Amino acid sequence: MRLKHLTLLACLALPVGAEAGVKEAVEGHILPGVAEFSDKAQSLGAVASEACEGPALEAAYNEAFDAWLGVSHLVFGPVEDLDLTLSFAFWPDPKNQTGKALGRLISAEDPVIEFPIEYAQVSVAAQGFFALERMIYDPPGTGAYACALVAAIAGNLANNAQLVNAGWQDFAFVVTEPGPDNPRFKSEAEAQRALYTSLSTGLEFIHDQRLARPLGTFDRPRPTRAEARRSGRSLRNVEVSLLALKDLASKFSDAPTPRLDAAYAKAFERVAAIDTPDFSGVSNPGQRLRIEALQVDVKEVQIETIEEIGAPMGLSAGFNALDGD
Amino acid sequence: MTSRRAFLGGLAAATALPAPSWADAGHPSHITAARDADGAYALYGLRETGDLAFRVALPSRGHAAAAHPTAPEAVAFARRPGTFALVLDCTDGAVCHRLDAAEGRHFYGHGAFSEDGTRLFTTENEIETGEGLVGIWDRTENYRRVGEFRIGGIGPHEMLRIPGRSTLAVAIGGIRTHPERGRDKLNLDTMRPGLALFTEEGALLDRVEVPAEIHRNSLRHIAAREDGLVACACQWQGDAFDAPPLLALYRESKLDFVEIPGPAHRRMKGYAGSVALHDGGRRVAITSPRGGVVVSVDVDGGYRSAAARPDISGVAAGRGGALTTDGMGAVHRLSGQDETGLEKLAQHRLAFDNHLIRLDVGGGA
Repeated sequence: MRLKHLTLLACLALPVGAEAGVKEAVEGHILPGVAEFSDKAQSLGAVASEACEGPALEAAYNEAFDAWLGVSHLVFGPVEDLDLTLSFAFWPDPKNQTGKALGRLISAEDPVIEFPIEYAQVSVAAQGFFALERMIYDPPGTGAYACALVAAIAGNLANNAQLVNAGWQDFAFVVTEPGPDNPRFKSEAEAQRALYTSLSTGLEFIHDQRLARPLGTFDRPRPTRAEARRSGRSLRNVEVSLLALKDLASKFSDAPTPRLDAAYAKAFERVAAIDTPDFSGVSNPGQRLRIEALQVDVKEVQIETIEEIGAPMGLSAGFNALDGD
Repeated sequence: MTSRRAFLGGLAAATALPAPSWADAGHPSHITAARDADGAYALYGLRETGDLAFRVALPSRGHAAAAHPTAPEAVAFARRPGTFALVLDCTDGAVCHRLDAAEGRHFYGHGAFSEDGTRLFTTENEIETGEGLVGIWDRTENYRRVGEFRIGGIGPHEMLRIPGRSTLAVAIGGIRTHPERGRDKLNLDTMRPGLALFTEEGALLDRVEVPAEIHRNSLRHIAAREDGLVACACQWQGDAFDAPPLLALYRESKLDFVEIPGPAHRRMKGYAGSVALHDGGRRVAITSPRGGVVVSVDVDGGYRSAAARPDISGVAAGRGGALTTDGMGAVHRLSGQDETGLEKLAQHRLAFDNHLIRLDVGGGA
């Protein structure tokens, strides 16, 4: 499982004084991450072409989603350049655009699904993990067409993941060899900044979206706004993302980060204490407290990331964003 | 800083001196507060090129500043809820005066000078009642406090003078806070943000409110054009996923909200940091440091583009396009022609604070 794999990586990276930096982050975090994502997405595509429901498909789906979370925080590079962010993960979706787009395809029996290449042209709301989640766990329709639609979504996802992995093989050098002639990164500092921004926005997404959305307010909790609640992986998405971000931080920062490590450890302990994997517990006062506490822990991780990684490198994303005025 | 030393050398040698001007502070076009790499805080002058023109140390994190129209003098405010402001001589960094908020009052971090430069206006909170005030300070009498007027609302925030006029525009955030409760918001259910316009004597000229159905859209920051159009940037005090439009244009006594299309709007996360009118007042640039995005809008034609930049917040008119500053220390020019319209002018080892203030030194923008 991806989860164990990541935990192992995080442990291996622990020895203090280990080499760390942009190159280590690219070679030790990003490249293995996109390769794993591409592999798991190919498996998902293969399974979905055989079965449009059942445990094998669900397992392949979950493994591919875990692998996506290993790289989804990278806010620069092929995913961004190919404009694939929403094609992989169309969420939040407050207007149920995914449900509507899938409903339209099904009711029209749109032949676009016959050609995987063409499927990339449909609404991004009908692509990626959340479209697939809907089709597997809460399908707006069944029958031969819906079954073929599952294969089309998974096939397109697999194609896109392969593009990302291929794109990174070239883009890696753009990141690790900055300089005046480099089209993207004129200096090491700019590459550091891009990685640091990925760290900070990844954490922010967990805090502001994955947790804040379902929490809503005490008087009005919003359990149906939880990410990936249909597949019951709302909590898992938080956990796997935190593991991925911790891994990136350890590869990227060459200084010891004792307070950050402690903040992560606390957050993982809290994850283990939450009993509602789909965050439906936000409506239950006892469970809600634990989910709120996890949100506070993630904020701690955000702050220590700034203090122990950003500030020593002279990077200060969040000076204004976290201040408010 | 060579130019400042050269100037000071010249100062000693000169026998007759004209009144000092902004040129004597290194020809800045803009000013902004920032944090240095070593953690110290300062007010900086910036040039159109993105270079630093001057640095004046501040005792704590600065926020916005008010720049005198002609003299090289800036009033730096502490972060709200601050109780003091410093009048700085930007040619040598001297603290000329210290303004202390009156008993039971605090500043909101913004202020503006009168058209003739003789008076300073500051937005203030009367802590006991939560009523918003504008304080009046006389520069010709060493910044003595000479009066105040009530704005008829809660939480005045940014204020400015309409360029070329003696009309004052005051953004009314609508949010009641109490220093003992930090930045806690005490009245979200009843807040009524808006915009009020006054004469320099405090007579109300006009007042508009954010519509009742989006009354939690706190109107905080503004930019104005010679003809009286005011661009307003809001901060939504609710679920970011339900955020209404954050940009409003005040003209002909009406407040019109401007729709920014879905993706760009969502990227702003319900929070606008600063707003500027530029390109001869034809365009608006509005930033969201939380979303790391600056959005460009035509005053008459709607949405143009969005460009990403982490922690971007300061924005002000500049020659050839608005200038932006961010918490990563970069100065960019917004060309506004396409999606990636941010041209990097300079990178400093600084974290620029929320606002970039353009000096009134001539040269249209």
